[in-house]
Amino acid sequence: MSRAYRIWLKDPVPQKPEERDDMSRAYRITVKESDTRHLKAGDEICTQLEILEILPPEDMATLLKEELKKRGFEEQENGTMVRKDGDLTVKVDPCSGEVTVKAETEETVSQEAKRDATGFNDVGPSERSLRDKVKDQLQADLDKKFEQEQARLQNKATEQLEKHLNDLQPEISEVVNQVTRDALKQKAQQMGTVKEISEDAKSGSLTIKVEV
Amino acid sequence: MTRPAAPPPRPPEPDGPRQVSKFEFNLLRILRFLVGHFPADQGLTLVRAAVARPECLSPAAVDLIKDTLAKGCVLFLVRHGAWRNDKYLRANVPTPGRLWDRVPLDERALWFSKPVMEFLIWATAEKVNDAKAAWDAAPAALTAADELFFWLAFDATRSDPDLLTVLRRKDAFRLNRFCWLASPGDVAEGDDATPPDFADLFEGARAALLEALQPHLAQRWTRSERVKGQVGDWARMRRQGRSEFAALRAFLLAASAAGRTDLARFVLRTNAALFTGDLTPVFWTGGLQGSGPPRLADRLDTQRAALAVPRQMEVLEAWQRQALAVGFFDDGYQASQLWKADWEAANGDRVAARARAAVEMLEPLRGPLGGRPPEAAGPPPGENPEGSPG
Repeated sequence: MSRAYRIWLKDPVPQKPEERDDMSRAYRITVKESDTRHLKAGDEICTQLEILEILPPEDMATLLKEELKKRGFEEQENGTMVRKDGDLTVKVDPCSGEVTVKAETEETVSQEAKRDATGFNDVGPSERSLRDKVKDQLQADLDKKFEQEQARLQNKATEQLEKHLNDLQPEISEVVNQVTRDALKQKAQQMGTVKEISEDAKSGSLTIKVEV
Repeated sequence: MTRPAAPPPRPPEPDGPRQVSKFEFNLLRILRFLVGHFPADQGLTLVRAAVARPECLSPAAVDLIKDTLAKGCVLFLVRHGAWRNDKYLRANVPTPGRLWDRVPLDERALWFSKPVMEFLIWATAEKVNDAKAAWDAAPAALTAADELFFWLAFDATRSDPDLLTVLRRKDAFRLNRFCWLASPGDVAEGDDATPPDFADLFEGARAALLEALQPHLAQRWTRSERVKGQVGDWARMRRQGRSEFAALRAFLLAASAAGRTDLARFVLRTNAALFTGDLTPVFWTGGLQGSGPPRLADRLDTQRAALAVPRQMEVLEAWQRQALAVGFFDDGYQASQLWKADWEAANGDRVAARARAAVEMLEPLRGPLGGRPPEAAGPPPGENPEGSPG
């Protein structure tokens, strides 16, 4: 521990060694704080499917539901279709055509912070108040570190969502196309006797010959 | 067509200029600034200055205030659209002519009430940006002319951020329907984008004012949409877009409920002026700086908000479908004919298709359909396309 001395430059009478009780002492305090928090981050997008009204809405919803079931979606109590892909959840409401893609990530993060402070035994704040002050500063340091962690986690969730959207887009397009094809076939059957159906997967065209 | 009864003759003008005190002189100059007849820089300086308030105003000053209010507001309305020979609904029947030909005098007369005078005295006596005395007016007590005046006052002062902050906290402005229709982004504070009830706007003098303001509103919205591409701040864009969407959607719903779809003509004309060609969302969001908020949901929300005006075309399209379904013997046939004429004149089908395409480009998970080339699908959601400053 270092020592501080007070020097009397203008004192005409030199002090005796036993009278030097006004000497101040410096001390250093080291405080360490650690904390563990459970951090959660999430991101989601919500959009509408482009479902054409070829059949009545309830029939279109049934077709959509069937197609989604084939692709691993599970029907929930409220009628929505949900599929979990790791941290990502895809939810489709067949009645409204609303799609919600949600990415959630969570992590238990531990952080540690350390600070030093110097004080004097005769001037300035007392050791207790100095310690409290350092603790407050440490808490702020820890909060900042957790904020950074939270931001990192948020980025991770958003990146996951963006990546998943790119993968999901072709699948959703296929679902919509398949539902449209099925709806057209059903509509054709309602109109008369279907004579011929030809599909071209490359161009996505569907030709139905109906005898009315 | 009959002309309404002539207004009572004005008293003869006195010889020479009238004598007014310094306070009254300032008040008159502020009033002239608010109705657009005095330079804005000098007017704003007067509004930011304080002058000792007298016990009362002289009869000469009161006369001049009345005269300025009457002439200033009427001149504003006439210049900004009342002069046009146009068609609007009266009792569900399209009625042609200029505003003063279509609307009877008792319906279009402007009655200013006490809050206007109180506001003028307050704005002269106080530094509006740092007022010591409080002032506000209950919106329910305001006449149509009062609302018009307070909108003009808000519009004249909104270029000064300090004045804007003070005024938009007062109910006379915060709940003013005309302020919400003309500049919702300025009147809404923070994320609170709750517009007032527009139902009263489609009756009596307020409806006449709206008829007169249609060309002006269309011009303002077109200008506002064109400069949106220069907004760099994501939070500002989100706030502005949200308030615009809330205001326009509430207005359109109220117009439909009141059977006055003709008063939403400015929304159709704004879209028609914008969509003369195909537009991508970059037109609105191209100025956004940086990558924006960390969450994709927030980025997407901001971009959707930016396209608040094109998104209203879905409502207008629904009106068009309804109008097409109205038969000759049905109620509202003439009103639907007027709407269809407006739609045709604005090339509504093409405008609606272009607006829908621009809005859909922002939507995620919209892949190519039926041989549509993938590159036409637009940028990935939440990102500005290549080449844009954002």
